[in-house]
Amino acid sequence: MQKTKLPAVLTTFIVCFAFWIIITWSFDIQELAGGAVVSLAVALFSARFFIHENAFWFFNPAKFFSLLLYCIVIFPIELIKANVDVAKRCFTGCRNVNPGIVKIPVGLKSEYGQSMLANSITLTPGTITMEVTEENEQTYYYVHWIDVAAESGEAAGEKIKGTLEKGIRRIFK
Amino acid sequence: MAIRIVIDILIAIGAIFALAGTIGILKMPDTYCRMQASTCVATLGTLCTSIGGVLYAAIIMHSASAAVKIAVIALMIILTNPLGAHAIAKGAYRNGIRPEKEMTVDDYGRDMKDE
Repeated sequence: MQKTKLPAVLTTFIVCFAFWIIITWSFDIQELAGGAVVSLAVALFSARFFIHENAFWFFNPAKFFSLLLYCIVIFPIELIKANVDVAKRCFTGCRNVNPGIVKIPVGLKSEYGQSMLANSITLTPGTITMEVTEENEQTYYYVHWIDVAAESGEAAGEKIKGTLEKGIRRIFK
Repeated sequence: MAIRIVIDILIAIGAIFALAGTIGILKMPDTYCRMQASTCVATLGTLCTSIGGVLYAAIIMHSASAAVKIAVIALMIILTNPLGAHAIAKGAYRNGIRPEKEMTVDDYGRDMKDE
């Protein structure tokens, strides 16, 4: 088990407190104090499960702008394209599908980057990440794909996550 | 008035995608393809509707707290939906549920036999 570190506690505290303020939406001093105490307790107990890497990447302006770019431009475009594709398949009778599970290599090293990419793949209709494995220092995802257009790992990976991975690589290594 | 039209269009687009996802859930051939169709409801279906809801709450109802809460709902759906989809798909596969028609490629099944 990892030891609890101060930056991890601080970041978890900030996130919990911001969430409390958003949910209650009242700036009474009593509410704020109660929220601060509760989020500090939560942060002390749970920080070591959540944060294992440098937690202050968010305050690096270059990374922050790449995150904004990813969340506002790159990911929504992919999301809309995939949504229109799956909606077309649904409206035209659901028979023109060609499902399969492919194993694709992933070039990201950091934990945050890998989980962000896996969640982005699952959020895109048409692809679901089923499992993550590691063989010889190389991470692989098993992805269920509704329309298998390429059977080899690299070509399939390029089609499924090419743009997404390029966007995430600017934020996490 | 113009903003009202934008809100209506957003909510209508969300409803169309939700309809597509529902048809997919009912008519797709196997479990995994049904889950793919259900992501369609969870992403653009709810996202477009909640963006419309945020605009409605902020501009027409003038209620900041309602707008922020709708935004939090959308954020929570985005954060939790992939986790659930991943866990259901993996659990179904490990439990031995296979599509009737043979899949084109099945790397996961191939690698599981080796274990």
